[in-house]
Amino acid sequence: MTIDIPFIWIAFKEIVKSLPITLILTVVPLLIGFLIGIAVALVRVYQVKFLYRAANGYVSFFRGTPIIMHVMLIYFGFPLLINQISERFDLGIQANSIPIILFVLTALSLAAGAYLSEIIRSGILSVSNGQLEAAYSVGMTSFQAMIRIILPQALAQSIPNFTNIFVGFLHTSSIAFLVSEKEVTGAANIVASTNLKFLEAFIAAGMIYWGLTIIVEGISFLLEKRVTAYNRGGVS
Amino acid sequence: MISLKGIKKTFNKQPVLKGINLKINRGEVVTILGPSGSGKTTLLRCLNFLETPDTGIVQVGNIQVHSEKVTKKEILSIRKQSAMVFQHYNLFAHKTVVENVMEGLITAKKMKKKEARNQSEKVLAKVGLSEKLDHYPSQLSGGQQQRVGIARALALNPEVILFDEPTSALDPELVGDVLSVIKAIAQEGITMVVVTHEMTFAREVSDRVLFMDEGVIVEEGTPLEIFNAPREERTRRFLQRISSETFFTQPKKQVN
Repeated sequence: MTIDIPFIWIAFKEIVKSLPITLILTVVPLLIGFLIGIAVALVRVYQVKFLYRAANGYVSFFRGTPIIMHVMLIYFGFPLLINQISERFDLGIQANSIPIILFVLTALSLAAGAYLSEIIRSGILSVSNGQLEAAYSVGMTSFQAMIRIILPQALAQSIPNFTNIFVGFLHTSSIAFLVSEKEVTGAANIVASTNLKFLEAFIAAGMIYWGLTIIVEGISFLLEKRVTAYNRGGVS
Repeated sequence: MISLKGIKKTFNKQPVLKGINLKINRGEVVTILGPSGSGKTTLLRCLNFLETPDTGIVQVGNIQVHSEKVTKKEILSIRKQSAMVFQHYNLFAHKTVVENVMEGLITAKKMKKKEARNQSEKVLAKVGLSEKLDHYPSQLSGGQQQRVGIARALALNPEVILFDEPTSALDPELVGDVLSVIKAIAQEGITMVVVTHEMTFAREVSDRVLFMDEGVIVEEGTPLEIFNAPREERTRRFLQRISSETFFTQPKKQVN
């Protein structure tokens, strides 16, 4: 077997067309997961009654099982659930009319929420207690202190971790290929099997992922430098 | 104006405050002395409910609360009567100098941003930091940071400013700067409660000195009474120890 180097470029051009789907599958779950993460982190930090147990269970389950399983559970389980509910309340919704990508986005968002909540929680815990006391001493409510003093510092300190998660989810989005969502890995597979050039196609896909990762790391570096300037004696 | 009645506080079954009664009048400058572990910082923190006493009545300004059944709302309103200067400054790390001072004005006093900034700049000028408005705390020396801390407290125009060992974390050469700022404020007639180890400062600035040990106020009086003629044996021993430490450098200031 020989390697067809020019075909890598041909495959690249074909595969890169699916990049938007990969980006959607990365960015949307992380944005939704971020909101879930903040809510769950706050519930766990404040130990809100009852909700606290649910939040613990949620984080434990989604971090304790592979993301591929969440995708499968939701992809196969939700249609059943939706059809049942639709039947009972006569909503007239057909599960198979729902685009697959919504199931994948749901699964990835829930997983992202669990991972991000732990990052945000550890960020909150890393802000020194003195900051909170100072906020109280000038007469802030605990809500004001959290929003204006603790969270901004917690999130700024978490940027390297957010980058990690972003890169992780960029690669995890390839799982969607298993439920026939045509993102970068899915496209690579199609190009590979129609041309019977597997190595070349996956090299091309790998280059796309790697390139994206390098870009993301660069952005994160600049962002981190800007946002945490206060910590390093940088000028505002 | 400030009154404490029967304040008790226990940490892990270890009594730290064993029934403190105290009255402080408007405009009075009170310093609290005592060996470490005597409960002086805890007492100060009970005044703005950074620690909630187990029992007792706390009154600051016109707000009076029973600590057994204090509500969040009461705690908030009592905190708005006071401001605190911390041992480790505790400036908001992600905010510039002027934003640090503005923060309380905007959130607690509901002031407009512009007005808050004006007022903050005035107060910062008073502590000699007009040049540093847009610096972050991490870019300042300890002494400058503590002056921002003082400005942050002062800007709120509180009934009382609580100082928790404001110079203990500073390099010796920076202590003087901060103390002279505090002294200047004291002369403006603002009520102050100061926990400190600076004996000269306590002697020069305070109207009244409290000596605490093992969770009780052992003795109180004017600086003259406490430093020159302490009645209690424990006070005498404490002052002796302190003065013997500085014996070689400042023999004049030795007491007893």
